[in-house]
Amino acid sequence: MHTLTRLQKSLIATISAVVTLVALFPLLWVVIAGFKERAEVLATPFRFFPKRWLVQNYTDILGDGTFLKSMAVTFGGAVLFAVLSLAVNSAAAYVFARLDFRFKRFLWVYVITTMFIPGMAILLTSFIVVNKMGMLDTLWVLVLPGVASAGHMFFIRQFYLNIPLALEEAALIDGAGRIKIFTAVFLPMSFPVFVIVGIGSYLGYWNSFVWPTMTITNPNLFQIMQYLYTFRSERATEMGMLMAGSALSALPTIILFLIFQKHIISGIKISGLK
Amino acid sequence: MRKTPTKRDNGPAYLLLAPILILLTIFVVIPFFYALVVSFYDWSFYQESAFVGVRNYYLVLTDDLFLESVWTGLKFALMVVPAMLILAFLFANVVKNLSPRFSGFVKTSIYIPTIISGIVASVIFVFIYDYTAGLANYILGWFGMEPKAWLAEVGTALPSIAVPAVWLGFGLTALIMLSGLHDIPESYYEAAALEGAGTWAKMRHITIPLMRNVILYLLVTGFTAQISQFELSLVMTNGGPLSETVTPNLYILNHFRNDVMVGNSIAASLLLFVVLGSISAVIFRVLNSEKAVDG
Repeated sequence: MHTLTRLQKSLIATISAVVTLVALFPLLWVVIAGFKERAEVLATPFRFFPKRWLVQNYTDILGDGTFLKSMAVTFGGAVLFAVLSLAVNSAAAYVFARLDFRFKRFLWVYVITTMFIPGMAILLTSFIVVNKMGMLDTLWVLVLPGVASAGHMFFIRQFYLNIPLALEEAALIDGAGRIKIFTAVFLPMSFPVFVIVGIGSYLGYWNSFVWPTMTITNPNLFQIMQYLYTFRSERATEMGMLMAGSALSALPTIILFLIFQKHIISGIKISGLK
Repeated sequence: MRKTPTKRDNGPAYLLLAPILILLTIFVVIPFFYALVVSFYDWSFYQESAFVGVRNYYLVLTDDLFLESVWTGLKFALMVVPAMLILAFLFANVVKNLSPRFSGFVKTSIYIPTIISGIVASVIFVFIYDYTAGLANYILGWFGMEPKAWLAEVGTALPSIAVPAVWLGFGLTALIMLSGLHDIPESYYEAAALEGAGTWAKMRHITIPLMRNVILYLLVTGFTAQISQFELSLVMTNGGPLSETVTPNLYILNHFRNDVMVGNSIAASLLLFVVLGSISAVIFRVLNSEKAVDG
């Protein structure tokens, strides 16, 4: 390590503190604006802190039945989505990493090619497909279409390729089948990669709103971002509640991120790119 | 691809592959070929479709609104990506020199905006740009300047939407840069310091050349991501004022929602697919199968 002077050190610490604060500011602001009185949210001149701290907006939005229901339904859907996504994609990742079978090359290309089809190109025809399958207004229309992901499969496969062959050879010699090796050797070792891919799936589901607005009309299945989007266009005057709702909608994600932050942050790298 | 020499495992392989193959076929491959077919038809929800050859493509490519939206998408990406990369690069160099404890806190904090949804970001920033009660005009007031209608003026609307895009993408970009910086051996800098190289010389002759691929990767992925952006302009301005903030994907989405004829917008989305898909395919080739990225 090269040494820094005291002045340099404090300069670096100051810059970091300022940038961190700027990055967090919009979020802090929305949380704080939620505590303002209704008239004060859009009052001039601008004030950062409320004159009086009120929990009214938060209790109002929580009392608005649909909001909490949307949070719960979206959370359940997101967890189901993440679990299915891990199951489907890790199984395929294992097969492509380790097994030898007919048409392997063809199937590999088939799966990987889907990675380059942007969602917008198939948005409308996907809608037609799920409509024909009678899936509209069900949880399945939200969960199933995105579960299989070539990108996630590819990422998990990279991880599996780095697991030493020796680990499964003992099991092979003992006569364990390929599927047994997947469940007994690979799955238990998958935690680091599953955290990253699982959180990624969860986030994608939690934050999506175009697909839910197209496929869900039943208020009992409203997704949280869809709820906020609709709230904003239909009840535009209730800014305080919208702020409180936006802040609360980010909360589960942030908590989840804070729980797994070490794994996620250390997983961020581009290996081999120099 | 690695091969296990002993015997083939067709049975277990197909069993474990079945879910991904079935799901991808139903929800990606079939819709894709369906879109391809529809793009050659004069097709709508309400009437019989008729084969029209490449007319949809012709109409899209001669539609000024589509060409404008592509131009808007380019301008938007050119505003967001360089700003984001430069800020992230500089900040990653700062964070690298922090004490481990403080840097852990900084890394976690700057990552948090990355997990915020486009909708929530839009809600927050619409509020920041509010004419009377927003932060942006309050700050202008410090300098004795007149308030602006940030999202309603032709000159400021697109840059105003670029700001939340930078905010959302900054954290992950900085952390990828940081991990790239950590891959550069400290001994390079020590050797350069012995030869009397200053901060700027080290940056120019060691850091930037060794980070070239990381920067290139972020540049290309950032560019394709930003040119595809539509959530921010959908929620913040709905494409306005005029069609100043209509990005290509918003153009396509608006046509899906409003037109009886959808062949055009499907043709547009496929044209976009050819461009963006080939860019991603090139990145994928360059990164090669041994190199992975996550985020």
